[in-house]
Amino acid sequence: MLLPFLIALHAAVAVLLVPLVRVWGPRAFVVACVPPALTALWALAHAPDIVAGRPVTSAITWVPALNIDLEFRVDALTLAMVLLVSGVGAVIFGYCAAYFSTGERGLGRLASVLVLFAGAMLGVVSTDNLFALFVFWELTSVTSFLLIGHDDRKEHARRAAVQALVTTAGFGLPMLVGFILLGQIGGSFRISELVAAPPLGEPLLPVALVLILVGAFAKSAQAPLHYWLPGAMIAPTPVSAYLHAAAMVKGGVYLVARLAPGFADVDPWRALVLTFGLLTMVVGGWRALRQDDLKLLLAYGTVSQLGLLTLLAGTGTPVAATATIGVLLAHGLFKSALFLTVGVIDHQTGTRSIAALSGVGRRLPVLAGAAILAAASMAGLPPLLGFVGKEAALEVFLPGTSSGLAPAAAAAVLTGLVGASVLTVGYSVRFAWGAFGTKATVAERRVSRPAAAFAAAPVALAVLGLAAGALPFAVDPVAQGYAAAFQPTGKPYHLALWHGFTPALGLTALILVAGALLFQWRAAVARAQQAMPRWPDAERGYYGLVHAIYVVALRVTRLLQSGSLPVYLGVILVTLLALPGVRLVMALASGDVAVPGAGGNEVRIWNTPLEGVVALLIVVTAVATVREHRRFPALILISAMGFGIAGLFVLYGAPDLALTLVLVETLTTIILVFVLRRLPETFGTRPNGWAKRLTVLLCAAVGTFIAVSLWLMTAARTHAPISSGYTPLAREAGGDNLVNMILADFRALDTFGEVVVLATAAVAVASLVLLRRSRVVEEAEPGPDEEEQGEEEQGEEAGRTGTPAGEGDRT
Amino acid sequence: MSTPEENRGPPNKGAAGDGAPPEGWEAPRERWLSTGVRPAFGPRSVLLEVAARLLIPTILVFSVFLLVSGHDQPGGGFVGGLVASLAYVLRYVAGGRRELAAGMPMRPDALLALGMLIASGTAVAPLLFGHSVLESASLTVALPVFGKVKFASILIFETGVFLIVVGLVLSVVSALGARMEAEEEEARAARERARRILRLRGGPR
Repeated sequence: MLLPFLIALHAAVAVLLVPLVRVWGPRAFVVACVPPALTALWALAHAPDIVAGRPVTSAITWVPALNIDLEFRVDALTLAMVLLVSGVGAVIFGYCAAYFSTGERGLGRLASVLVLFAGAMLGVVSTDNLFALFVFWELTSVTSFLLIGHDDRKEHARRAAVQALVTTAGFGLPMLVGFILLGQIGGSFRISELVAAPPLGEPLLPVALVLILVGAFAKSAQAPLHYWLPGAMIAPTPVSAYLHAAAMVKGGVYLVARLAPGFADVDPWRALVLTFGLLTMVVGGWRALRQDDLKLLLAYGTVSQLGLLTLLAGTGTPVAATATIGVLLAHGLFKSALFLTVGVIDHQTGTRSIAALSGVGRRLPVLAGAAILAAASMAGLPPLLGFVGKEAALEVFLPGTSSGLAPAAAAAVLTGLVGASVLTVGYSVRFAWGAFGTKATVAERRVSRPAAAFAAAPVALAVLGLAAGALPFAVDPVAQGYAAAFQPTGKPYHLALWHGFTPALGLTALILVAGALLFQWRAAVARAQQAMPRWPDAERGYYGLVHAIYVVALRVTRLLQSGSLPVYLGVILVTLLALPGVRLVMALASGDVAVPGAGGNEVRIWNTPLEGVVALLIVVTAVATVREHRRFPALILISAMGFGIAGLFVLYGAPDLALTLVLVETLTTIILVFVLRRLPETFGTRPNGWAKRLTVLLCAAVGTFIAVSLWLMTAARTHAPISSGYTPLAREAGGDNLVNMILADFRALDTFGEVVVLATAAVAVASLVLLRRSRVVEEAEPGPDEEEQGEEEQGEEAGRTGTPAGEGDRT
Repeated sequence: MSTPEENRGPPNKGAAGDGAPPEGWEAPRERWLSTGVRPAFGPRSVLLEVAARLLIPTILVFSVFLLVSGHDQPGGGFVGGLVASLAYVLRYVAGGRRELAAGMPMRPDALLALGMLIASGTAVAPLLFGHSVLESASLTVALPVFGKVKFASILIFETGVFLIVVGLVLSVVSALGARMEAEEEEARAARERARRILRLRGGPR
C-alpha cells in the first residue's frame, strides 16, 4: 500500500521547500499542498473498503530485534483522522500561500516544518505499532515546538514553545513507559492485536493505562495540563489553525479513541476520562467566555471541545463512538474555518481584539457568512455537522441509552455536558458578534478587502461543515465503521439530522436558549466572572515547577561547582576513600582478601637494584614537587617524575608504554609551559593550619589506599591472564606487537571511540580558548615574503589607527 | 626585531682573485627557519634554530617509521603522531607562531577531519565487502628492493589515528601557544598606541 510512501513524500517535499520558498516566496506553499492532498485523495479512494471493515495495512521491518516495525493500518477511525490531518491540512497550506508576505522571516523553515509535521501526524494516526506511534508522536511535539517558536526573536514565542514542548514531550515519557508495560503484559506491540485481545487479568494493566492516559491528556490539553494550548497561540494563525484545531491536539483524543475498544472497561479508565474531560469542558468554556482576543477565545474553546472529545472517545460504547467521529469531524471543520477567519481579519484589519473590531461583517459579508456558519456549527445549530455531533453526544448519556455508567454518574455527566454546551453557545455567539458585529461604542475599523483565494479557505471549510451536516449519511458510515469495534448495546444509533422528538432535541433547544440568554446578559455574566474567586492557575503551577527546578539546579551547581580545583580534587578523592576505600578496609578487617606475603610467601623488594634507583627518583621528585612554591620548577619536577615512571616501564619490559609515556610527558610539559606564561610565578595561596593538615591527611590516606589496593589486586589473580590468549590471535592477524595489535585490531572499536574523543577534545580546547574573541589567529600559512609584508602592514596599520585618533583628540 | 637581511650576510665583494677567501664567505646564505622572526620565548637562539632545521625532517621521518613499524615493533599511530607533533612543537618553540603557521601542512581541524575520515572509512569499508565493522586484512607482497613486505589494513586505520593526534596537538598548541602570543602582541601594540597618543597630546603645538 501507498501510505509509507506518502509519509516519505511529506519528508521529501519538506526538504525541497526550503530552496523553493527562497525562489518563489509564499507561493511555494502550493507545492506543500501536494502531499496532504494526495494522501486525502488516497484515503477517499480506499474509503468504501475501509468503512466496510476491511482496513488497509502494510508493514516495513525496522528494528526486528526489538519488535519495532513500521506497521500501518488504516481503519475507520484512522480514515476520519487522515481526512482531517491531510484534507484540512491541504486547505490550510493553500491558505498559507496568501497569508504570509514575501519578506516573512524563516518562511522556508516554517513551510518545511509544517509539512514535516503533517507527515508525522499522518504517521501517528496510521501506525499500528506502539513504538512507531511514540516516535511519530514525539516528532509532532518537536515540530510543533519549532512552529510555535517560529518568531524566535520574541521571548514570548520562545517561552510558549518551550512550555508546549516540556508539557507534551515531557508527559510523553510516562506514556512510553506505559506503552512498554502494555506491550510486555499483552505480549505484542501491535495496537490492533492488543485492542482485540486485551490482557485484562494483568494487575499491571491499570498502571500502564494510567501512564498512557497521562501522555494523551497532556497532548490533548486536558485540564490541568491545558495551559500550553492558549500560550501556543503565539504561532502564526495558519499554524494554530492546523496544529491546534485540526491535527496535533487531536493526537491525544485519537489515542484514547484507538485504545477505548479494548480498555474502556478497565478501571480507572472511564473515571479518569470522564472526570478530566468534563473538567476540561467546563474550565475551557468558562475561560473562553471572557476572552477579548478572538484567537484566545477560540483557543479556550478548543480546550473545551477537546474535553468533550476525550470524554466521548473514552466512554467506550457504540453510541459514544458514533458521537466521537461526528464531533471530531465537525470540530476539525468549524474550528479550522474559524481560525482561518481570524487570520483573515487579523491580516486585513491589524487586530484581533473584540474591543477594537466593529463593522467588519458589513465590509466582508461572504467571510462573515462563512464564519457565522462555522460558529453556528460550534454552537450546535441545525442543519450543521456540529448539531449532528452534539445530538449524538447528548444521546450517549441519556437514561435510555446504555453508557456503561451507573445512572447517577450518567446523569452527572449529562448535566455537565449540558452546562458546558451552554457555555459553548455563549462563546460562539460572542465570537460572531465580537468579530463581525457593529458595536455602538467602537469606531468602525478600516478593512481592506482580502484576495478571493485568501478568503476561499475558511469559506470552503465552513461550507463543507454545512454539507456534511445536511447530508449526514455521507459521514455516518465512517462513524459506524468505528462503532463496530465496540460491544453492541441496545439499538444502533446513526448520525442524522432528524431522530424525531427525542429528549436530546429538547436538551439542544434548552442549550440554545440558555446560551442565547448568556449572551443577552453578557454584562451580568462578565460581572459574575469578575466576582469569582481566582482559582489557582494551572499556568502558574507550571511556572512554579520550572522555577523550582531552576532553583534546585542552581543550588546544586553552586554547591558542587565551586570553581576551585583543590575542592574538585578533594571531592573526587573523598569519594574514592568513602566508597572503595571503606570497602577495602572492611574486607581487610573481616579477612575476606588474601594478603600476599602473609602466608610465608617471600616479599621481593625489587627485581633489579635499578628499580630501586628509579623508585628513589620518583619519591624524591614527588616530595620535592609538593614542597615547591614556584610553578615552573614544580612543573619540571612533575615531568621528571613522569620520566621516572616511564623508566619503570622500561625495566618491566614494556617499551611501548614507556615510549608513549615519555612522549606524552614531553608534550604536556611543553604545553603547560605555554600556559604558565599567563599564570603568576608562584602558587598564590597555600593552605595553612587545619586546612593544610587536612590536605596532608587526605593525600596520605588516598596514597595509602592506592598502594595497598594495587598490592592486593596484583596478588588477587585467580584466572589465567587474558593476554596469553592474544598471542595466537596476533599471529593469525599477522603482527608481532601485541600492544598494538590489541589497540588497532582486537579492540579497534575502543580505539576508534577514543580517537573520536580526542578529536572532540581538540575542537573543544580550541573553541574554549578562542571563546573570548570571534577573530581566529591568522593561520593561513602565508609564505615567508608575504609574512614580512603582513608584518609591515600591521605596523603601519597600528600607526594609522593611532594617528587619526590623535588628530581627533587634538581638534 | 630582527629582519631577514641580518641572516643573509653582506654581499660577496671579495671575488677579485687576490687569493684571499671572499669577504663574508662564512656568513650563512640561507635562513635557518623559513620565516626568521622572533620566537615565542626570549631572544632568538641560533643554536635552537639550527637544531630545529636539522632535526625536524628527521623527526618526521622517524614518526612515519614508528607508524609503519608499529605492527611488529614498538610504535604505532598514536606514538607516531606524538613524535610528528613534537616536530611542530619544536618549530614553534624555535620560531614562534608565524613559523608554526608557515610549517603546518594544513589547518589543525582539517587534519582532524581527514584523520576521522580515514579512521571511520577503514571502520566501515569491510561492510562493503560483506565483512563486519573494522575487520582487518593483510597482504604480503615481494617487492624488488625491500624483499617481502606486509601491507595490513590496520595501517590505514593507524594513519587516521596518527593524523588525529597531530591535529589534536597542533590545535592545542595554536590555541594555548600561538593564540596567547598573538594576544600579547596585540596588547603590546595597544600599549604602544596609547603611549603615542599621550605623546601627541602632551607635545608642543
